[in-house]
Amino acid sequence: MRMISRRDAMALGAFVAVAGHTGVIASPVEAESEIAKFSAGATPRTGNITIDLPEIAENGNSVPLAIAIDSPMTERDHVSEVLVVAERNPRPVIAKFQFTLMAGRAQASTRIRLASSQSIIVLAKTNSGALLMGQKPVKVTIGGCGG
Amino acid sequence: MLRRLSVAAFAVAGVCGIVASSNGAERPKGPAPIAIEGDASLRPWTRYPGWTTRSFSGFNSLAATASPPAGSQLRKLDGPIVGDPAIGRQLVADRSRGGSCLACHIMGPAGNADLPGNVGPDLSEIGGAGRDDEWLFNYVFDPRVYNPETIMPPWGSHGIFNDGEIGHIVAFLKTLKEPARFGNALDDPRKRPMPEEKRDNLDPLVNPGMWAVEKAQELWKTPGPNGSSCASCHANPDAELKTWAASMPYWEPRLNKILGVEEFVTRHAKATTGQTFLMQSDENTALAVYLRYLANGTPIHLDQTSAEARAAYSRGMALTTRKVGRLNMSCADCHSPEKGGLKWVRGQWLGQLRGQLDHFPTWRTSQQSVWDIRKRFQWCNVAIGADDLPPDAKEYGDLEFYLAAQNDGLKLNVPGIRH
Amino acid sequence: MAEKPRIKLPSQARKGEIIEIKTLVSHAMENGLRRDQNGVTIPRKIINRFVCEFNGQLVFRCDLDTAVAANPYLQFFAKVEGDGTFRFSWTDDDGSTLTAEERIIVTA
Repeated sequence: MRMISRRDAMALGAFVAVAGHTGVIASPVEAESEIAKFSAGATPRTGNITIDLPEIAENGNSVPLAIAIDSPMTERDHVSEVLVVAERNPRPVIAKFQFTLMAGRAQASTRIRLASSQSIIVLAKTNSGALLMGQKPVKVTIGGCGG
Repeated sequence: MLRRLSVAAFAVAGVCGIVASSNGAERPKGPAPIAIEGDASLRPWTRYPGWTTRSFSGFNSLAATASPPAGSQLRKLDGPIVGDPAIGRQLVADRSRGGSCLACHIMGPAGNADLPGNVGPDLSEIGGAGRDDEWLFNYVFDPRVYNPETIMPPWGSHGIFNDGEIGHIVAFLKTLKEPARFGNALDDPRKRPMPEEKRDNLDPLVNPGMWAVEKAQELWKTPGPNGSSCASCHANPDAELKTWAASMPYWEPRLNKILGVEEFVTRHAKATTGQTFLMQSDENTALAVYLRYLANGTPIHLDQTSAEARAAYSRGMALTTRKVGRLNMSCADCHSPEKGGLKWVRGQWLGQLRGQLDHFPTWRTSQQSVWDIRKRFQWCNVAIGADDLPPDAKEYGDLEFYLAAQNDGLKLNVPGIRH
Repeated sequence: MAEKPRIKLPSQARKGEIIEIKTLVSHAMENGLRRDQNGVTIPRKIINRFVCEFNGQLVFRCDLDTAVAANPYLQFFAKVEGDGTFRFSWTDDDGSTLTAEERIIVTA
């Protein structure tokens, strides 16, 4: 695996730092390292990714998450792999999706656990080697009065 | 340890000796058979695994009176408050102390102004409001000396914060002289939109609680020790039990208490098929879900014609205003719109009584299990530092009766799905 | 994985149509961070992979980690060109696999 260049690492790092809703990530090293591993040298570009998350999650145990990547999903132009990262979770990687042409759409949804208010970062690889990136913050409340 | 439920002679009025046979030929007429003796839940009652084991016997519960008396006199301070505002700023946001202050008050920069509540007034400018140290100290120590009707906990009288800590809190309050600055509209409880529950309760792909319905349908056909099953007498529950659960809970004269669906299931199963379905067991909860599911769409409506039922209603109403626990709160303090109802406690919305029962039992996503209303009562009690009662406690019955009456006319939609 | 998995998809579709598939499986998704009442950590045990194939060909795959909520729900799409069978499989950390199949009729 090719080591990513220092310039790319800084670009990724800068992006991930800005993605956090306070600008600071609790587990930056792990989240960044997972993102770097997935990116394998490519520089991300934002856009084309829609992330559906509630603005406030009443508890972090079951938060609905929907991801859609705008792609024709044809032989010539399709999304292959998608990485979903929660920057402040104890383990930042939530899931990895693999789409095929038979999927027809680069869209999937699930329900996730969030340890605290944070941003979800989504990275998508296309067959042409492009890397797309998107992020969205969510506030997580963990009980009103300690319960 | 577990008291066996023994079946009294079928306490059924006017029955000519018909008993449910294992082939389910005849069903007795008259009130449903129920086991009269014994308790419907485990004794001694102990808290659920994972809940705090701390005893709150020094404070009121819904059944016992034990709290220290309200402060009636101001405490005089020896001199000006000596406290560290930095420590105070942390204490007011300390979740392990019931909130604490931030749960109900906007307080400027405290807690990073991240989802404070608005049950109490905005204290962001209290430092410039002309209140002296003694007033601030006493208000936090025991607000009842100033306002006997307060819903604010007596942090000092109930030993939640000691004098030194209250000193730090007062020192912090004195620094609050500017309106709070919020990162975005969601952080401001005055601007945060009220949550709307839009999930489809009955979609099995949305609500794992629907598995309880399937489980109950299997239990329905499973024979008990007497050789019969629910189906033996209730072969067609979809038709026969289409409205029953919407009339619950009810006053049961044979037990001299209000009986809810869950306790009825325990006592009725024992008296008929012989099965033991204690309250809070998986089987009991599944059947409790199912019995309401069968009556989905039926408006809740209780029989309040008897004097005993009306007395239960009055007792239930009184219980909603009874102050309990370390935090010294009543149901009404959080759930009545005149007090904390329809406001935010931290990031959680406090609903009013109406609208709280039509979706119980409910799947709780934070607990990954189905909870009935009695467990919800127990949770609320423990959360505010009051001992929970056993789920079949008569106080919970009266409370459920009163709560159901407030939900009169709302259509059952069970199982629910909530946080 | 006690209860039967829930699967929702149309029983019939037109050739070339993109259909929506929803799945839900019963699983505690123990993330290895919780402790029991004695303070002992409950070991991790999750479903770590979900695969959907159609007539033996891969449609969609998800590698799940501990942050997928209990009773994992997955919704995705599939483009159908002819009759066939969808095969869904969920793999647990312990190596066991739960599978389910659903047929679909595809009209011209």
